[in-house]
Amino acid sequence: MSFIAAAALSFAVATNIFAQGPLPTGTASFSAELEAEPSPSPRPDLTQPTEETIGPLEKLLEEQELGPVWPTNPIKYAIKGAVDAGVPPNTIVLLLLLPVVATAIASARHLLGIRGFGIFLPAALSIVFVATGPILGIVLFLVIVVISTAVRMALRRFKIKLQYLPKMALLLWFVVMGVLGVLFTTPIVQHPDLTNVSIFPVLVLVLLAEDFSRIQSGKSAKTAINLATETLILSLASYVLLTLKTMQEFALLNPEILLLTIIVIDYLVGKYVGLRFIELWRFRKLISD
Amino acid sequence: MVKISSILGLNARSKLFSYPYNPVRGKKIANSKLRTKRILKKVDIPVPDTYARFKHPRDLINFDWDSLPSSFALKPNKGLGGEGIIVVKKKSKDGDGWITTSRKKVTIEDLELHILDILEGAYSMQNAADIAFFEEYVGRHKSFKKYAFRGTPDVRIIVFNKVPIMAMLRLPTKESGGRANLHQGAIAVGIDIATGITTKALWKGDYIPYKPGTKRKLHGIKIPNWTKILKMAVRCQEATGLGYLGADIVLHPEKGPMILEINFLPGLQIQIANQTGLRKRLERVEDLKVRDADHGVLIAKSIFAGSFADRVRAEEGVRTLNIFEEVKIKGADGKKLTIPAKIDTGAWRSSMDKTLAQDLGLLEEKNVLWQKTVWSSIGRQKRPIINVTFWLKGKKIKTSAGVADRSKLRRPLIIGRRDIAGFLVNPIKGEK
Repeated sequence: MSFIAAAALSFAVATNIFAQGPLPTGTASFSAELEAEPSPSPRPDLTQPTEETIGPLEKLLEEQELGPVWPTNPIKYAIKGAVDAGVPPNTIVLLLLLPVVATAIASARHLLGIRGFGIFLPAALSIVFVATGPILGIVLFLVIVVISTAVRMALRRFKIKLQYLPKMALLLWFVVMGVLGVLFTTPIVQHPDLTNVSIFPVLVLVLLAEDFSRIQSGKSAKTAINLATETLILSLASYVLLTLKTMQEFALLNPEILLLTIIVIDYLVGKYVGLRFIELWRFRKLISD
Repeated sequence: MVKISSILGLNARSKLFSYPYNPVRGKKIANSKLRTKRILKKVDIPVPDTYARFKHPRDLINFDWDSLPSSFALKPNKGLGGEGIIVVKKKSKDGDGWITTSRKKVTIEDLELHILDILEGAYSMQNAADIAFFEEYVGRHKSFKKYAFRGTPDVRIIVFNKVPIMAMLRLPTKESGGRANLHQGAIAVGIDIATGITTKALWKGDYIPYKPGTKRKLHGIKIPNWTKILKMAVRCQEATGLGYLGADIVLHPEKGPMILEINFLPGLQIQIANQTGLRKRLERVEDLKVRDADHGVLIAKSIFAGSFADRVRAEEGVRTLNIFEEVKIKGADGKKLTIPAKIDTGAWRSSMDKTLAQDLGLLEEKNVLWQKTVWSSIGRQKRPIINVTFWLKGKKIKTSAGVADRSKLRRPLIIGRRDIAGFLVNPIKGEK
């Protein structure tokens, strides 16, 4: 009985989001949580366009005094115009910070040596964390990784040979069951993160399952676990970067500087041919002898 | 101590060497074991024979399993890191299967399933469809028998700009299940490029002096046919067009060195086993004009020689004896005894103390060749001439020696001119 109730609840949440989707307030599902992050209070209703939570960033924009448009302020004026017309500033901030996150992930690989599953996966995962909150995000991520790995191993173990797409469809079936299982715990756990979860980030996570299993193939279980751990670390770091208040404010108020710096960093990281930080450890026997 | 700037990391490997020097065609060749073998065979570089190929499941239907010899390897064409390889050594006793190198029994059915797995892409990158093939089994060369566990050891050589840059020997262990892949637990042993003698062994990230669980030294192993192996690795480069590659070479017990596969992104672990950075070496040869394999090997031997290489080379050419040397003598019971000896260029035949000869059992009648009459300061004597086998500086010498009473002398054995052909003698006592 409670299962059905939970299912109905999550369905209601989902339909609610879809109904609100095209409206400008729909994007508030990200923005609302983005703002709510530092505060321990339960997440505000996803679908409510709460003025007071959007307020601070808008206020910052209002307070900023701008010089002439060219050469240093074109993006600032564009942002201002868009926000005045009703685009939530959080959407703009998230978009501006996305290249930052991508650069951070690229640098993590080439300067530090943390690999993770490519660049798209950790970036998408960090956005999911912003939307669902990190704890639920991690739980869902782990559920999906464990299920997709287990299904792959079971298929191989029992020598069930399927074509690629039907196999993926089957995988998705299991992953969805797992995610539903997590949602079905709502009546017991009663955590606001869980009750307020929206379909969008969950959908992104479920669809990531294909990429996981594709990258996992041809690698040993140990490598797969290592990669998943590194991905998690990367996305958590990116999540912190995305929700950092100073970072958000800087991105909103100085978009030109931010974007140019990112280009320069990307270029420099791309040209870097020295050792990665982790390689100093790997080759410690060579260096210290 | 290696400078950080001398070490080759992942960034530099792809950006400075593999990417700019390896054209797409070469990478495609290296990615396919069958194609590699075909290309190399064309230029007469030895590779293991291919017995059969399976491109499609229907190829299995008419396959004559009796056409396979009793030992072979089943491999995926695009397998990564040694995964998906089954090596069988002999037919099983009951006759309906084979025994693998890890002592498991496999039947035709098992192999068929495995082939289907391979075709499905279970061992290839991103599960792309693959080809399975049966290949000649390459056993262990006798020089590695004592060091490798079950599987076949191989030699990895990194070649750049036609110069062999660095080499290592990979020894399968119990942990690696007989496979020569380092991340599966094989031992990496650095090799001195100039001499082909192993230097330092690395196992699971630590240097080890002996083969695990034994007292068998892993340094000082001489790889046979070393120069030939180096040249072969360089010729792979000419054949595939890959400017920066790692060649995996196995030593066939009868046919000698063969190329097993080519790698265009060879691992970096080799640096730790050799205690040397790759990057510095690569930069040193980057701008050289190298004519051919012979030239490249010559360059490598002269600039990458280990600190002990000169000594080894001098010893290899003409070994030098000191006045006093220790030799091992084989007794009648086959046991070897180490005794001090004196090199005497004034004597023709070697001469041994009577008591010693007695103790070794060499004075027994069947070992005595004849009695020789000699005149010396104490008058006429009969001295037996006996068969002797001894080892001097590692060289086995089978000869005959006179027997005399040398009990008053410090050295119970004199080695005469007859037995030191091929050596130089350093006449200054005690100088090393």
